[in-house]
Amino acid sequence: MGKQIIVGIADMKMARQEGVLITYALGSCIGIALYDPMIKLGTLVHIMLPELGRMADRNLYKYADTGVRETVRKMTAFGAVKNRMKAKIAGGAKMFEMKGGHDLGNIGERNAINVKKILREQGIRLVGEDTGANYARTMSMDVSNGKVTIKTFGRPEITM
Amino acid sequence: MGIEKYEDMNALELDVIKEVGSIGTGNAATALSQVLRKETKMSLPAVYILGYNEAIEMVGSPEEIVAAVLVKMSGEINGIMLFILKMDFINAVLGSVMSKGIKDYMELTEIEKSALEEIGNIIISSYVNALSGLTGVTIKLSIPSIAVNMLGGILSVPMAEFGYVTDKLMMINGKFIVDDKALNSNLLMMPDIQSLNYLMHKLGVE
Repeated sequence: MGKQIIVGIADMKMARQEGVLITYALGSCIGIALYDPMIKLGTLVHIMLPELGRMADRNLYKYADTGVRETVRKMTAFGAVKNRMKAKIAGGAKMFEMKGGHDLGNIGERNAINVKKILREQGIRLVGEDTGANYARTMSMDVSNGKVTIKTFGRPEITM
Repeated sequence: MGIEKYEDMNALELDVIKEVGSIGTGNAATALSQVLRKETKMSLPAVYILGYNEAIEMVGSPEEIVAAVLVKMSGEINGIMLFILKMDFINAVLGSVMSKGIKDYMELTEIEKSALEEIGNIIISSYVNALSGLTGVTIKLSIPSIAVNMLGGILSVPMAEFGYVTDKLMMINGKFIVDDKALNSNLLMMPDIQSLNYLMHKLGVE
């Protein structure tokens, strides 16, 4: 398995050949695991919001659009090639069901839609997805083989 | 607008917020003591202005399972009230209103979740009523919603809600002491920045 590297909220970490990238308790946030199997280069990004918009925010990994683009740029700089890269995503839940008009904007769903849109725009294949519903997910990727594991509360573990 | 970022607040403003939290938590403790029929006190509220990952650590750990009741504030004050209950608190409540207890969060039935949701709602409403009375602002509350899940996922809700404005969470944290035992609960009031300024203005702090 190799050592664990923790990815915080609005954060990205990269590893090559070995190690496990892990991000805890994705709620409405989305974890995006990108992997180039040829050179065994993997990244895990933990984004929180669908798009940067007009904000001048230096924290690129907080947003789906800037987060994915910046990660792809870094991976490419380390020798990854877009058409070899595979993406797996998890999160985008709606943790609280708000009754009676007080919607929290369903950010989770908007996050998932936008992450997929940006991946398409970047020409990266989405090969695994576990999004939506109403529970948090812990996501990890073993960089030695690109395998992604999703852990939740009270549900069986998912491997993809 | 006076305060542009939570972290810009000065000592006087922080004291005012602490006082607001104190009055709110005090009122909530009175409501709780009526529900539990036990003597309920409060600890001195604390104000935390923390980054995302620090905020989770302050309440527990990201994968820790908790129950949380969320109520959205709107009207003159916008923001989120979140009441986080851990096992000992849940058992104190269930023991008192339903004469039973649980050992695992998985055991919580829908009826028990509704009971916790309602108690969360009572606590949050009495907190907000005190705040309204003190400041003369009108605050509308949403219907409560409960989640039993990982703490990190639950706290991502207020983070995302204010995410376009700030990288920090301001949490006004009150704790309850029931029968001289500090029970594991956090009552968090998280106003948005505009509301914080309005609150300051209403309380005469400029």
